[in-house]
Amino acid sequence: MTLEDASREELREILDLALAHARGGLEQTLAGKTVCLAFFESSTRTAVSFELSARRCGADVISLSEKGSAIAKGESLVDTVVTLDRLGADAIVLRHPATGAAALAARHTGAAVINAGDGCGQHPTQALLDLYALSSSLGGFDELAGRRVAIVGDILHSRVARSVIPAFCAAGMEVALVAPRTLLPLDAWGLPVLSSIDDALDWGAAVLYMLRLQRERMTGARVPSVAEYARFYGVAGRHLERGVMVMHPGPVNRGVEISGEVVLDGSSLIPDQVAAGSHVRSAVLALATGAAHEVAA
Amino acid sequence: MIGDPAELVIRHARVLDPSAGIHAVTDVRVSSGRIAQIEDGLRGAREIDADGLHLFPGFVDVHAHWRTPGREDEESIESGSASAASGGFTTVVMMPNTDPVVDKPVVVSGLVRRIERESRVRAYVSAALHMGLEGERLTEMRLLREAGAFCVSDDGLGTQSAGVLRNAMLYARSSGLPVILHCEDHTLATGVVHEGACAALAGVPGTPASAEDAATATALVLAAETGARVHITHVSTDLSAALVGFFKGRADLTADTTPHHLTLTDDLISTLDGMYRVNPPLRPERDRSGVMGALRDRIIDFVATDHAPHASEEKELPLQEAAPGFLGHETAFSALYTELVLGGELPLPRLVEAMSCAPGRWVNGSGSLRVGAPADLALVDLSESWTVAKESLSSRSSNSPYLGRRLTGRVAATIVGGELVHDRVGARFGVRA
Repeated sequence: MTLEDASREELREILDLALAHARGGLEQTLAGKTVCLAFFESSTRTAVSFELSARRCGADVISLSEKGSAIAKGESLVDTVVTLDRLGADAIVLRHPATGAAALAARHTGAAVINAGDGCGQHPTQALLDLYALSSSLGGFDELAGRRVAIVGDILHSRVARSVIPAFCAAGMEVALVAPRTLLPLDAWGLPVLSSIDDALDWGAAVLYMLRLQRERMTGARVPSVAEYARFYGVAGRHLERGVMVMHPGPVNRGVEISGEVVLDGSSLIPDQVAAGSHVRSAVLALATGAAHEVAA
Repeated sequence: MIGDPAELVIRHARVLDPSAGIHAVTDVRVSSGRIAQIEDGLRGAREIDADGLHLFPGFVDVHAHWRTPGREDEESIESGSASAASGGFTTVVMMPNTDPVVDKPVVVSGLVRRIERESRVRAYVSAALHMGLEGERLTEMRLLREAGAFCVSDDGLGTQSAGVLRNAMLYARSSGLPVILHCEDHTLATGVVHEGACAALAGVPGTPASAEDAATATALVLAAETGARVHITHVSTDLSAALVGFFKGRADLTADTTPHHLTLTDDLISTLDGMYRVNPPLRPERDRSGVMGALRDRIIDFVATDHAPHASEEKELPLQEAAPGFLGHETAFSALYTELVLGGELPLPRLVEAMSCAPGRWVNGSGSLRVGAPADLALVDLSESWTVAKESLSSRSSNSPYLGRRLTGRVAATIVGGELVHDRVGARFGVRA
């Protein structure tokens, strides 16, 4: 539900299981289980990735999206959750615009609730797949310790930031924040605040973790212009010359936080992050439904 | 030619610089635009005999309207800087409420280039905090800074929404630019003079002191919360000065007040003369003396003039129709020396600190006579008494509230980077035989 309290060992356990899923041989771990996808907010990669993971592991999948479901008719979160519970869901994967929605849902069902993003709160599976993708690229989970990662962009409104920051810290990485102070919470985390990508590279960042700048934040109240934002907080081709890796949870605003040439460059982990999604989510579903322990037994 | 032509010796001046702890009759050698030596018995190829004159670090004015671009009929960089030099100012910050507003990097870089060519004194550009000074969209502060902007300000209007101002302070902090704040709540500021007994008797609509105090309180709270480097300009009420005092140490904060708020009061309303309209308005004696006390006690850090030239057709009007603002550069020192120092309210060293050392530190680390510092100097004759007249002003405008007044103490010469930019001691200056 949240990664704020996850320990290094817990993270390692999940990532090891994800690796096992990636290697194959765990195809039917969720056979006989019912996984419910309840997306109260639009999503592409998270929804598709969860659905794919559940189906590959043999689960029955019920998918509710805003359109064409009771959600669109104004049914409350709690009522929807209770309904899914009574229909026999073993796991409810929940995406909701309100922070704390997953925690509320969990109080009304015996099924495992997996937080697939709640408001500006948390997006734990994103952080897990980021750790997975980065570990794979560096040669293992233990390689993360001591490396420097800069989280760049709209940290204030980002649930991804609220999950990746504690996750990177728990993995032993050194984390700095790069954003105009209009897009930063006051005094949170006690991490260093840097004022441009160039400063982050001077600080010694091995990884730039770019966040999406929402269109509605570009109207001038918090960011004066796309040009100025891109100049100081956007990653461009010239930055890659310093051997830094680039990550982004997607969807990317090309030409804003990331220039087009960077997205598909060799130093971009963005495709790896997407690929990691289904392995990590298979592992999370297996752990959440207890299937992982049944297999182990 | 004897010696270095770039060298100048000022002899027998009474040198006063509280920041360097100097107060003595001595000689100063200027070489390559910097102060090279301060001791007795110096001689040079070029000398100024300053016997009987005081030598201060050049005055620094963080608040001036040189009306460029757009209203060069009222003031230009040439005339504004001549006016500044004539008042002993060696460094000035230009406010952005021009036409067009200084809210784009190209306007800033254009001004910086024109200053290099046209200004007699060091001039810095304040860019706008919001596009068009409209208090909605932030300016591109980082690009403005790269173009040469020194600070940002919504001077003249003030930022009306606390939420908008908070974001502006946060963004200015990220941009590394100080913010100069004109604090005025427009929901309260509906009149044209200070709301008090004088306004009531004259029948002129007043603006309550709360228009400044409420906006100042809001700005200070936000400064403390955001950590922005904030300068509150033209503090004019006793309560606002006290609020500044409360927030010293709780925020990265400085403040100034103006010569006119320190020397004039709202009884001038009874003249009904549009000349005396200014924003913030002239206040009653209680506020003047409270602000004066805050300046003496260093709660208010320094003086800034809010030099605001206006064409005569904008001032020769009834109070309600006149444009607000006074000329400031050329009378600042004389008015403050006459009223405050000779009036026994403020010691001369504190006045020099408030006009030179403290604002100099804030702007560019100038305002000091230490060896190695840029030779930015004001030579002042404290014994000269003069009457302020249109003909005596270098500004293109003549809206001085001191017109016709007799003041004591007058700037005799101003030197910027070793160059004489204003000289009323010409006869005494020359190559030694």
